[in-house]
Amino acid sequence: MLQSLVHVCLAGISAGMFIWLVASGLTLVFGVLRVLNFAHGSFYMLGAYVCLTVLKAMGGNFWIGLVLGPLVVCVVGYFMERFLLRYVYHLELPYQLLLTFAMVLIFDDAVKMIWGAGSASSPAVPGLSGSLSIVGRQFPVYNLFIIAVGPLVAVGLYALLEKTWWGRIIRAAASDREMASAIGVKVPTMFTAVFVFGAWLSAMGGALAVPYVGLLTTGMGEAIIIEAFVVVVIGGLGSLKGAFFVSLIIGLLSSFGTRFIPMLDMFLVFILMAVVLLWRPQGLFAEG
Amino acid sequence: MDEHGRTRRDFLKVGLVTAAAAALGPGVIKPVGLWAAEPQIKGPIKVGYQAVLSGTLAGYGEFHKMGAVMAVEEINAAGGIGGAKLEMEIRDSTLAAPASIQNARYFVDSWGADFLAGVDSSGQALALAPVVGQLDRILMVTHAATEKLTEDEVFKKGIKQVFRICTPTYQDGNAAAFVAKDLPAKTWATISPKYEYGYTCWNMFKDTLGKLKSGIQFTAESWAPFGTTDFRPHINTIMDANPEGLYSTEWAGELITMMKQAKQAGMFEKIKHVMLPVGAAMDVLEGLGSEMPDNIWISGRYFFLYPDSPQNKDWVARFQKRWNHFPAYVSETGYSTMFAFKKAVEAAGSKETAKVIQALEGMELDSPAGHRVFRKEDHQAMYDVPWGLTKADPKYPFKIMGKQVVIPAKECFNRPPFEGEGTKPPFKS
Repeated sequence: MLQSLVHVCLAGISAGMFIWLVASGLTLVFGVLRVLNFAHGSFYMLGAYVCLTVLKAMGGNFWIGLVLGPLVVCVVGYFMERFLLRYVYHLELPYQLLLTFAMVLIFDDAVKMIWGAGSASSPAVPGLSGSLSIVGRQFPVYNLFIIAVGPLVAVGLYALLEKTWWGRIIRAAASDREMASAIGVKVPTMFTAVFVFGAWLSAMGGALAVPYVGLLTTGMGEAIIIEAFVVVVIGGLGSLKGAFFVSLIIGLLSSFGTRFIPMLDMFLVFILMAVVLLWRPQGLFAEG
Repeated sequence: MDEHGRTRRDFLKVGLVTAAAAALGPGVIKPVGLWAAEPQIKGPIKVGYQAVLSGTLAGYGEFHKMGAVMAVEEINAAGGIGGAKLEMEIRDSTLAAPASIQNARYFVDSWGADFLAGVDSSGQALALAPVVGQLDRILMVTHAATEKLTEDEVFKKGIKQVFRICTPTYQDGNAAAFVAKDLPAKTWATISPKYEYGYTCWNMFKDTLGKLKSGIQFTAESWAPFGTTDFRPHINTIMDANPEGLYSTEWAGELITMMKQAKQAGMFEKIKHVMLPVGAAMDVLEGLGSEMPDNIWISGRYFFLYPDSPQNKDWVARFQKRWNHFPAYVSETGYSTMFAFKKAVEAAGSKETAKVIQALEGMELDSPAGHRVFRKEDHQAMYDVPWGLTKADPKYPFKIMGKQVVIPAKECFNRPPFEGEGTKPPFKS
């Protein structure tokens, strides 16, 4: 029983950390730019595909793929913000959703054209491909690595936003665009930077998912974006703290659900969302 | 000079050119214009094909397309169907039932399709059956496997327009049980898709194996929703139950992911008998490569190294030359579908639905997958597909199906008339 519980927990935490990487960028972009970016999941997909391509070109060196993949996606994110999103900030939400959803379809087809429609399988990461015996059952080293990366990203984001000059500017612009602009903050440039940073986070998630899922498909971005949306809504739109803890909760909930209440495993997350929305519609960790 | 303004010598030339074209093979020469033989059947003959071309399973659609397109090219190069040109359009079925119905209606009402083919999911196939009945067009199902399609829709409800060229769930459930009865495993568990297909196969496997052998226990079930990328919780369920055998109808990308994650969790060191009814699909074998463990039982709707016949070998070689790929099972079913239509239309001397149905019922077809017979009662194509154990082969960059066991289709597909004595497996008594 102990063995079972420990492994169900570990599986839940590592699953949660993936959702967190995607949800963090999504909530950050919403918090600052007030744009709900449907195509955020596409960055996850692109990050994974570019990482895999670089990895294969570099003779299987995952780490180069992990660094370069998300950087390439940053360029894509830059163009998307600079030449498309910028023109819909002042429009109503449905227009933003339409544009970003159209981008999802375009990215999916682009991936299909570049990498083919079939799924792409990825090799294991040298050095992290083994398993450790934890209370008598094998657990992959790579999943432990993911469990370590998630909180590191959380701490890094906290430090960036709370402790640096840049973070203060971002928070200022998030709370009052006009005032920030009036005191000399270059708001459009800062928006681009935040959007690109959000894209980078999502692409990192995708690149890290390459060895974890072991398989890349053109639909992979859509599956994760739904979970990330659920996390962001439950946690409170724009709240990084909320995204982190709710990712963990949802990872654990689906792991425990699958193991102990299989009848309800798909349902549990949505029950949680319904309850939270009824009781605290602004989300669990929303400020104010 | 006859009324068409052609001389007898012209007709002779037409005959010679056609014979030469047939002898020289596809693509070398084909009769055109004045030289074309007068078609017996008013063409063109139009086939509306639908398969999944988007989302995570888009690769399947591409493989359907390769097989079907190649058949159309070959048929047209050799003079078409009874002299009429074969035309095909492919649309994305998206795996959703409403989309498959829209496609069928578009094909027939707007595009003028004479025949319909394709369809990946069982839900789509069941939804389409009454629609093609109304539209009165033959639908040849090339991938969807639910036995309810042929048993309920065709046999019981009498929707004669529906045919199926691929193996049904019996290959996945019953044939697997026939193989499992000879294995030493006494306790079995499953990780399978959380929808109709997964439930049906597992129940069939349990039912048949339970009848074939006493003292078998089924100890755990874990159902993975469509789109699962993290199988660890499911693997935990199975590891906790500690069975001797694992049966899984996970397929395509999800099977690849499950196998990789199960391997990391050390599952194959604990569970020695693993059966994967759709494990012999090319996307799975190529996707897993050397990561597929040895001695895993796999099967599919067709496997490119079976049968060991000249026709199959020749086809696989042509397929590789045309597409630079090994054929997936949906490539074979898509390809053979076009030849089934050709044979039936030529036999009927017409493309009228009622006449072609008559020609297809009981029709025999020599195809890459072997000898097929379209059973008259329920329109299911009977042909044998092996189960076998994975093994490495230096000739291929992936594991192939080694030691093969063939459970003949007639022994594990429920027999017509599907009711009463002797119609439910196990048939041998």
